[in-house]
Amino acid sequence: MLKLLGGFIAGVLFVAIIAMNMAGGMMIREVPSPFGLEETAARIQANIQKLKHKGWKLSGLREPSKAVAAAGSNVPPVLLVEACSTTYSKPLLKEDASRILSIMMPCTITVYKKQDGKVYIGLMNAGLMGKMFGPKVSEIMAKVQEDQNTFVDFDPSKPPPPLNRKRPGGGAGGGPDTGGC
Amino acid sequence: MKTSKSVIAALLSTSLFLAGLAGAAEQPATTAETDKTVVAKSKRETSTADHSKYEELQKQFKQGQEVTEACIDCHTEAAKQIHKTKHWTWEYTNPKTGQKLGKKNVINNFCTATKTNMTFCAACHIGYGFEDDSFDFASEKNVDCLACHDTTGTYKKYPGLSGHPAYEPYEWPAKSGKFKPAVDLQKVAQNVGKTSRRTCGACHFFGGGGNAVKHGDLDKSLENPSRYLDIHMDKDGLDFTCSTCHSDGKHDVAGSRYHTQASDNKGPLLRGQKDDRNPATCQACHGDTPHEEDERLNTHARKLACQTCHIPEYARSPQLTKMSWDWSTAGKMGEDGKPMKIKASSGMIAYDTKKGDFTYDRYVIPEYKWFNGEVLYTLFGDKVNPDEVVKINDFRGEPNDPGARIWPFKIFRGKQPIDAEKRSLAVFHTAGDDDTAFWQNFDWDKALTTGMKAMGTEYSGKLSFVSTEMSWPITHMVAPKEDALSCAQCHNKNGRMQGIDGIYMPGTDNTPLLDKLFYIIALLALVGVVIHGAIRLINDRKEAE
Repeated sequence: MLKLLGGFIAGVLFVAIIAMNMAGGMMIREVPSPFGLEETAARIQANIQKLKHKGWKLSGLREPSKAVAAAGSNVPPVLLVEACSTTYSKPLLKEDASRILSIMMPCTITVYKKQDGKVYIGLMNAGLMGKMFGPKVSEIMAKVQEDQNTFVDFDPSKPPPPLNRKRPGGGAGGGPDTGGC
Repeated sequence: MKTSKSVIAALLSTSLFLAGLAGAAEQPATTAETDKTVVAKSKRETSTADHSKYEELQKQFKQGQEVTEACIDCHTEAAKQIHKTKHWTWEYTNPKTGQKLGKKNVINNFCTATKTNMTFCAACHIGYGFEDDSFDFASEKNVDCLACHDTTGTYKKYPGLSGHPAYEPYEWPAKSGKFKPAVDLQKVAQNVGKTSRRTCGACHFFGGGGNAVKHGDLDKSLENPSRYLDIHMDKDGLDFTCSTCHSDGKHDVAGSRYHTQASDNKGPLLRGQKDDRNPATCQACHGDTPHEEDERLNTHARKLACQTCHIPEYARSPQLTKMSWDWSTAGKMGEDGKPMKIKASSGMIAYDTKKGDFTYDRYVIPEYKWFNGEVLYTLFGDKVNPDEVVKINDFRGEPNDPGARIWPFKIFRGKQPIDAEKRSLAVFHTAGDDDTAFWQNFDWDKALTTGMKAMGTEYSGKLSFVSTEMSWPITHMVAPKEDALSCAQCHNKNGRMQGIDGIYMPGTDNTPLLDKLFYIIALLALVGVVIHGAIRLINDRKEAE
């Protein structure tokens, strides 16, 4: 009996260690980009705008590396492409139980340079994360995941689109363009 | 649900952190203008001369030369000193190679050559009226004092005026319908002062025809830089101007890319001390063993230039630097049959009918190579192999050369015309009002015929394009010390010094024999442990039985 219990605990520990090591990689994924920093972000923005019929709109473009520079130091550039779809946000924001998931809005895709000089794209694994919050959220997030995949599916034959640095209207004051969410 | 909340909490804290960062980035630099005014005012107050009170400067000057005449009335030696500098002659003979360099002689892979384009290029000559070989280099009044000593920020020299400022409203860019105001020479003359990052930068930040185009470590952001961009020029810190390092007295400017000093193994140089040393090296201030707390870093300085670690990336301002220029695609018209410009995602021009294709980048990791102080240029008339990449300038060096160090470089890549029959880099007439200028009619043959004739030879009529590389040693945009390269950025299988000969890099390099020996010893140890354990187990069981 003792051996059985010991084996079970060892198994649980083993699985926990493996899960802890793999969790980060499973929750977020990184893919190299064949384009430069600005062009990658611009192509993602263009792909997002192609999904207007699914409610997707650009919410903003941030560059947190600028804040580090303002504080006197250097980090390679990072561009955060933000987008939101009311098609997916509406059902989540409607229910009190899932309203807290607004923490994950807007959907952010990060484009950054690493020390090897190459450009990478970072995405949240929305499908997997959604599974932690019940069937309804899981269903919505699976669709977000599907759309996210098209955001980073580039057509190199197309000319590079301009990077949209504009901040959309909306927010507390509201406005004609609500920036998706 | 507990797990869910903890995940949400983690996401919340991360988002708040990122939001904080992003929010901080959006804070406007509201005090910048005020600071600028205060600095200008305090500098003025430290001067012992108020030029606005000088009788000679009360005139309504019509031309720049009139101002110079007033200047050299008191500063009797200034123009004579200027006459001896590269800034004036645009010529420099490399004492090691004997090559005649300088802007008059070098062909680069940006706008290529100055010869037939002098009215444009002379916007960056410190003289008035340099438009061809007839320019009087012996004239003192032709020296432009204001280009370097203006403190008003209103003195500007536009291309097309042969080194003069605009004496009447001037349309620039050409045919744009936008007019630049005429200069107020009296106001500028009455407000002269020391050189500044802005006056030097008026040319050096715009090398290659635009902001940040040429150097990669020099751009307009250095007019008013923050700490992260350059620890020495930080406007709120040391606030160095260019002349803090590059001043050599007598209007000469220390430091040159035509003859870059690869190493300096002497201690710090006392300012004012009479010495032939170049005061613009890092060691001239910091000495050659500057790392007080880590002798190992000092030993690195025997192989590495200071810049290699302390400028980990160049073009770190938001401004992108140009990385390549392909002249071979120039001349393509838009669908409407007119010259066109195509923008990249970044907003920079990616294609211009006048110039061809460009690429840009920022936060660029330099390319590294040994450099011993010897630079060899490919000059006009030198034979080139059209099937190979031509090095416009070759910064030479081998690991065992005395004084050689591993330096960081921006390598600017291009494609430019050659005379295929002469197998020489070609000079073409780019800008101007005449019908042979490439930017007027996009006719390579006409532009090359005029350009080559000006160089004293005939164009064979056979045009080809060759791939070229031009090296720019990186030496500005020195990062704060906490941002210098970390050990792992080099001592790594994918580290930065890959491909550099002559050094053994722990973490990057390996000795196969030593590696095999290690694996054999490790394997034998493992086998020994297993055998030992097995014997113990067997013995224990036997004893128990």
